[in-house]
Amino acid sequence: MSRPGARAGNTGRGIGVALTLLWSVIPIYWAVKTSFQTDADARANPAQYVPLRPTLENYRTLLTADSDVPGQIRRAALNIVVECGAATVVTVLLATLAGYAFARMRFRGRNVLFYAVLATMAFPPYTTLIPLYRIMSLLGLVNTYTGIVLVYVSGFLPLATWVLHNYFSSLPESIEEAGLVDGAKRLQVLWHLLLPLARPGIISTALITFLFAWGQFLFPLVLSSDLSTQPLTVVIASLQGRHVVPASLLNAAGVLAIIVPAVLALAFNRYIVNGLLAGSTR
Amino acid sequence: MITRTSRRALLAGAAGAAAFALTLSACGGSSSGGSASGGSSQTSGVTITVALASDPPPKAALDEFTKETGIKVNWVNIDWDSLQTKISAAATAKTYFADATDVDWSRVGQLGKLGWFYPMETMVDTKTMASDMPQLTSFTKDGHVVGIPYDASFMVTTVNEKMFQKAGVTEMPKTIDDYTAALNKVKSAGVVKYPLNIPFAAAEGLSTYWYETTGAFGGTVLDGAGKPQFTTPDSAGYKAATWMVDAIKNGLVPPGNINVTDSQGSQTLMAKGQVASIFSDYSGGIGTLYNIKSASSVVDQVKYIPTPGVTGTAANLGNPDGIGIPKQAKYPQAAAKFIEWFTSAKKQEDFAGLNGQDKIFQGYALPSHLSVLQKMSESGTLPEGKSLVPMLQGSKPVFPEGAPAWYPQFSNAVYTNLHAAATGSMTVDAAIKTIADTANRLASGS
Amino acid sequence: MSLTRSATPGPGLTAEARPTAPVRRRGRRFDPLPYLLVAPVAIFIVGLALIPAVFTVVQSFFKVNPLDPPTRFTGLGNFRALLADDAVIGSLGNTAFYVVVGVTLSTVLGIAMAVLLQRPFRGRSLVIAVLILPWALPGVVEGILWTGIFDPNAGLINSIVTQVGQIFGTGAGGTTLLLGQNRLLTISLIELVQVWQITPLSVLLILAALQLIPGELYEAAEIDGCTRWGAFRRITLPLARPGIAVCMVQAVIATLNVFDQPYVLNGAAATGSSITMQTYFISFQDLDFGQGYALSLMITVVTLIISLVVVRTIYRRVEL
Repeated sequence: MSRPGARAGNTGRGIGVALTLLWSVIPIYWAVKTSFQTDADARANPAQYVPLRPTLENYRTLLTADSDVPGQIRRAALNIVVECGAATVVTVLLATLAGYAFARMRFRGRNVLFYAVLATMAFPPYTTLIPLYRIMSLLGLVNTYTGIVLVYVSGFLPLATWVLHNYFSSLPESIEEAGLVDGAKRLQVLWHLLLPLARPGIISTALITFLFAWGQFLFPLVLSSDLSTQPLTVVIASLQGRHVVPASLLNAAGVLAIIVPAVLALAFNRYIVNGLLAGSTR
Repeated sequence: MITRTSRRALLAGAAGAAAFALTLSACGGSSSGGSASGGSSQTSGVTITVALASDPPPKAALDEFTKETGIKVNWVNIDWDSLQTKISAAATAKTYFADATDVDWSRVGQLGKLGWFYPMETMVDTKTMASDMPQLTSFTKDGHVVGIPYDASFMVTTVNEKMFQKAGVTEMPKTIDDYTAALNKVKSAGVVKYPLNIPFAAAEGLSTYWYETTGAFGGTVLDGAGKPQFTTPDSAGYKAATWMVDAIKNGLVPPGNINVTDSQGSQTLMAKGQVASIFSDYSGGIGTLYNIKSASSVVDQVKYIPTPGVTGTAANLGNPDGIGIPKQAKYPQAAAKFIEWFTSAKKQEDFAGLNGQDKIFQGYALPSHLSVLQKMSESGTLPEGKSLVPMLQGSKPVFPEGAPAWYPQFSNAVYTNLHAAATGSMTVDAAIKTIADTANRLASGS
Repeated sequence: MSLTRSATPGPGLTAEARPTAPVRRRGRRFDPLPYLLVAPVAIFIVGLALIPAVFTVVQSFFKVNPLDPPTRFTGLGNFRALLADDAVIGSLGNTAFYVVVGVTLSTVLGIAMAVLLQRPFRGRSLVIAVLILPWALPGVVEGILWTGIFDPNAGLINSIVTQVGQIFGTGAGGTTLLLGQNRLLTISLIELVQVWQITPLSVLLILAALQLIPGELYEAAEIDGCTRWGAFRRITLPLARPGIAVCMVQAVIATLNVFDQPYVLNGAAATGSSITMQTYFISFQDLDFGQGYALSLMITVVTLIISLVVVRTIYRRVEL
């Protein structure tokens, strides 16, 4: 379906694509570059556009140096994976059930409930920080994985429900009409017929939830008290606030925190794109 | 749709949320957080959480404390800004987060009025401490000690002696005029293009710099009642602001400094030999930064000089770090024991390196006990100790009567307006007037 | 989930507009299943989002300040105080700049990049994958990334400016681009960072709308002697309207709530301070939580109004 006589257009597009790629990557490249430099090289003026004397020293310091920082980084990396993973699983599970019900079932109060769920998206999600903090404190869940995961789930459920509702709505109705007799059967239909079809939607939702959770800062800052639950973002911020942290080391820490989201975005971009589109179309 | 919620945006939202917490707590009409939640007085066999914007002291030291008292310490390091937010959030929600945490000198007024912390004089013997700890006064508000200073940070003038000498400045300046002349000499001799660092970014460090400079011009910022003392052109504060803004206009300060914060200035300008002096620098910087080979290219070149004043040496302004016990602490008595131990002269000797390298508390500024500082100076373990000890002895609090409760708002007005004056979008006169108006409004409580 | 459905945010969505699958109604017998399915979500939303949110709205009409107890009703007092506050008014002006610059830039870039990616070519999916990177990164790290770009000495931009200056003999250092130099430059540079973050979503939204345009339309236009530019104006732009509308709405929401970028890059300086930064200062510095929430409420209402206006003007149902 390529259009004829488009050579000039192709060149133009090539330039455009190159510019697009540069625009997206340069700030990330700059941080990666800095993380492979000594602090002196990183501060050279004018700048070195590539690391002339590349070094792994910053990563060595961060990951293996004989001080508390490496231990903190490793523990915080574990925490962030556990918290984001658990929040993703719970969010997707609950949102799938509710998304299905909202999309494919009729019941009294459906619209009211559905709009109530959506309405919470209009609020900045963080407006509930301190009340949530109190509630978690009453439940004895401050500084626990459970507390952080519950708060993440409540924050990401509306979007997840909305995305999955849209997915279920887009599936043809004929699928379930055949086998619908009673409620129990309907669950089987959901499990055996609809879930496999909705799998792309579920994966999208899971990825988006995970990425959102990965970027959180203030909720975990307030809800976690120490290293037993602090995620990587909080620990990195504490590095940033330290009086003497060389820029090169700081950039290495930053790169550590973006590896996982960057790899996910590159590997599963199709799912993320679809999920974002489903979530932004209101 | 959920937007990408990143760090600062979250902070903003927390604002509104905090209000709800108060609904829950305000039924009795008291939202000042006045009453203690009745933590356990148990001390042995408990684990306390200590949250400070610093790495932990050596593990051996903490183990020793546990052995002595049966109290285990869970050390949490949170960056300073985040920690202040966490303290506010926890106190507003009346929720426990640590047994001992940061009390910044600038927050003493606010925290004292809010009653979020235990009065320390009821927990430890502050009367005895006071004689050896000059900066304790900065932590006292309305007769209550909100926190105990665990280090002695104060503002000093640092000079790259090598650069000054290279420009032909052989005698270190004793007055502000001499100092300005010396900087001009360094500039015209071409030693560095911009000899002076002033962190003109709109942040706390700019306010601090102005307070120190105001002190050097022989005045104070606010009087005891919170009235501004800098409104007339012949007042110290006015002269200090003019001097600072002129310095950037006349090319003594790098133009890029309108976006440089205090720590950036020390780390990327002074430590890299880009500037020759910082008028209001942090004490301890030579030992912890300028003489550290991995972070500095000016090792052994930087010296502290007695703060140049109008006619001679001026006082240094103190801004120490303190530690206190929030009312929601689980084990306030155990926390008090920890603070007593942590701020003791003996521990400070260890932390400061008097008793061997393995006992050093990394990143520790200076001991808050005069006696320890003297010992350090005598033993030669304190870089430039000879000049520092008299400075600490003569150091004055920024606010002799304690920082006012509305300090954070005042400081915000100071740094945003001085920043605006430095960028040229407003005159010094207008900036000073706006700052004074803000102070008057805040002091009158409207 | 088709883009042509409706772009009205939130509850503007009508039941008729969505494809609903009426499951056969079985008499009047009460069926607990749907309630069981939505119960967990409902409990989470009501307990951990709705109730707290309602309380915070209520509190914006109260004096809530631990430095000035007790908590008491003030009616519109918080709102009046905010509108008389110079810092708030100044940051309102800045925020208006952010919205105008940010929405314009991200929309123009979004359209340009989407058109670039409209037709399949080898490696397109890879380009899209790289394109969404800025969206996927944690905000805490963003500040680190861009501080390195804007650094007055070793930063990428000023290094290039300096070296170009040297090559053309205009002298080094004199042309340094600095954040905070003047309001327009500061806001533009700060907003550039935010545009970097929000543009990926804009591209995706517009691209999705473009994918729905049948290729025959372009072929027909070409046969009619229509230039590429003509085809873009007569076919692409009108048909991409729904996608553009949604993209602009998300840009409006993001720019109205900008916080990280000015705070991290420019501190509290009046040249760049945004309205959400004032919310933070009022609440966490002044501890005037009532005013802080009132301001958040005003931002939310303004966001909704602007979003609706954008949708009304730009969005039109597209009949194919």
